[in-house]
Amino acid sequence: MHQKDLAIEINDVPGSNGALIINFRGELSSLCISRISGTFDTIDYSTIKFVIADMSNVTLVSSAALGEFMGGRKRLVESGGDLVFASLQIDLRSKLNMMGANKIFRFYNDTRSAVNAFRWEYEKHHEHLHLSFPPFLKLVPPIRSLVSRVAKQKGYSNRDSFRIETIIDEVCNNAIEHGLEGANKSIDLKMTINPAQVEFTVTSVSDPEKMQALKAMIKSDEHDLSKLRSDEKRGRGLALIKMLSNELTVDCNESGTSVHVKKLREE
Amino acid sequence: MESQIELLYEDIPGRSNARLIRFVGDLDATNVQSVLEKLNSLFSEGFTRLVADFRKLRYVNSAGLGILLYFTKTVREKGGSFKIANVCENVYEIIEIIGATSLLEIYDELNEAIAELN
Repeated sequence: MHQKDLAIEINDVPGSNGALIINFRGELSSLCISRISGTFDTIDYSTIKFVIADMSNVTLVSSAALGEFMGGRKRLVESGGDLVFASLQIDLRSKLNMMGANKIFRFYNDTRSAVNAFRWEYEKHHEHLHLSFPPFLKLVPPIRSLVSRVAKQKGYSNRDSFRIETIIDEVCNNAIEHGLEGANKSIDLKMTINPAQVEFTVTSVSDPEKMQALKAMIKSDEHDLSKLRSDEKRGRGLALIKMLSNELTVDCNESGTSVHVKKLREE
Repeated sequence: MESQIELLYEDIPGRSNARLIRFVGDLDATNVQSVLEKLNSLFSEGFTRLVADFRKLRYVNSAGLGILLYFTKTVREKGGSFKIANVCENVYEIIEIIGATSLLEIYDELNEAIAELN
């Protein structure tokens, strides 16, 4: 095995100053560890926080080469960053798993997923979800389930995801209950999520006949659950949303009702 | 696309007029009415001492809690009882926030709830 079998190319991540993609090609044998360590030496660790090792064209990683990656990762971790692997071939991934590398490094299916992880974790990149749906109660369970799954996928705990699911459920149910009926009317759900918080805005077309009741409910001390009789089947939704969220604003006018909820990540 | 909820009924050995109801799934606005009808129907059939097992109740919202509170009060007024056991952590938190822990009869374990039927 010769060193010439290895090619290394460093590329910026478009639009990001804190990340690099290093493309490795060939076999990372014990003969090429100086080139790997030399590559890590060229990194400016004061600005670069995230290195993605693109392994799509790598067929072998020796234990010595893996040691160099561990060294590179250590330097990044010490400055609050990380080194991850992307696009590992199946055989190589299995081999690295057997070597226990998966307990140290994160593996991503492709560089795009790795870049997204960087943007999410280090640039606090917001992700957006926008749904429009007709005001039918039966559509709420799959919607709340989707939102909960998104939160879980983004690293929110089961408990936080459950709370988010409950908030969405209650807000959407209220929108349907107090909005205009009909398949041609729609409810808009906009969700923005980042590692620290999730925000929702649910907008619906208000039913003029239900408008006064809705306004009265918002203005009243309905949030005080102690004033509800135990045999009252309804009226606890808004209070529940308020208790589960960190911020709740309801804007109700003739054109529509907009409910904005902010929920901070707790765990 | 309604939420799936199943109510599975079982006899409680040695307890007359009693039934164990295992809730499986999500209790929400899409199914509260049918659940309430099933509970009322069971009570009307003479099963006046009811124990609900919530071990597999994954989700409950304010509408679901509303009917549980309503049913508990109705049953009490008619001389019966409706006890709840094995509530999972997430569901218990919602019950707690709503302030319903003192209004519902909640037990940690099923056998505790059944013992209290006496």
